[in-house]
Amino acid sequence: MRTLLLLATVLTTTAAAQDPRLERLDPAIRPIVAALVDSARSNGLPTEPLVQRALEGATKRAAADVISAAVRRLAADLSRAREALGSGASPAELVAGAAALRSGAHSEILSDLRRARRQSLIVPLAVLTDLVANGVPVDSASAAVIALAQRANDATLVEFRRAVERDIALGATPAAAAAAAVMAASVQVNAGARQQRPGRP
Amino acid sequence: MFEPQEDMIERVVAQLRRPVRVDPELDARVMQRIARLPAHQAGAMHAVWRRLTRPHQFAVSPLGALAIAALLVLLAVILPRGREPSGFEFAVVAPHAGTVALVGDFNDWDVARTPMRRVGQAGGVWTAVVPLSPGRYRYAFLVDGASWLPDPAAPPARDDEFGAPSSVVTIGGS
Repeated sequence: MRTLLLLATVLTTTAAAQDPRLERLDPAIRPIVAALVDSARSNGLPTEPLVQRALEGATKRAAADVISAAVRRLAADLSRAREALGSGASPAELVAGAAALRSGAHSEILSDLRRARRQSLIVPLAVLTDLVANGVPVDSASAAVIALAQRANDATLVEFRRAVERDIALGATPAAAAAAAVMAASVQVNAGARQQRPGRP
Repeated sequence: MFEPQEDMIERVVAQLRRPVRVDPELDARVMQRIARLPAHQAGAMHAVWRRLTRPHQFAVSPLGALAIAALLVLLAVILPRGREPSGFEFAVVAPHAGTVALVGDFNDWDVARTPMRRVGQAGGVWTAVVPLSPGRYRYAFLVDGASWLPDPAAPPARDDEFGAPSSVVTIGGS
């Protein structure tokens, strides 16, 4: 049994090293990226985002050390995202969680989101990341997304993000735009809930 | 005038105790009548159930068996399997561009994989449709093989450490 496990590990490692896509990388960083990918795989993290980040750097002709640093940083973010979101998080949720962490969201926010919402967290995490990217303070953005995530569907969350972007473009401060949009979205969510439950006030 | 009541009762009882002579064909006639009655609903269902659950033997020629196998393979190829990724349309305005390529996490950042098509002959709008599963993807447009262009209609990628801007698109999972 132990021999079989060893053989499987060796084969898996070999397969990763032979990923033809990594041939596009500078030979100087190819083994570094391959090692990072192997390490992520052995830790149960998704490896495809790491490969894609390395390929993005190669296509954009970034320096070798910049590419390896970016892949290493993403691997660390994915690991933190899994700690916050739990081992049941999907690879896509981990990617969205890593982006949210990179944007400045705290790990506790991701855990709170996990508790608040049973459905996929891809869109709530993306909306959180985008709000912060638009200048909304992390605390305000987190509070707004957590408040909506429990009952709002993906479409409502995306519309909420668009409303914030629209108000910012019209001159509102990011925090004020988020506050106004979350109120409007909450009204919409509550109205939808009332329509789904006729007879209740 | 009237016989005593006890006598009358005795005579009725005696009459009732006399063996009745039944036609030996009666059983057969009764069964024939029953068989001619319209079938009851539950009976019909029962018959169907019995027909479905009883083993049957079919005889198929080798050619017929091959035809059935070919049909099954055709159905397996044609029918959709599971949840297919939905097509997402990317668009960018680049009126002076000769070529525009869409590159991103969905095509290994390969500049040759997803060339965009110009809409109309003189239009400056370029589009491409890519099947995407739920997730968050980074992407950018490469104009004339040299200039990187982010999607002005999409959120920018924050961690742009490679010196050329990218955008992000999120496909919902619920």
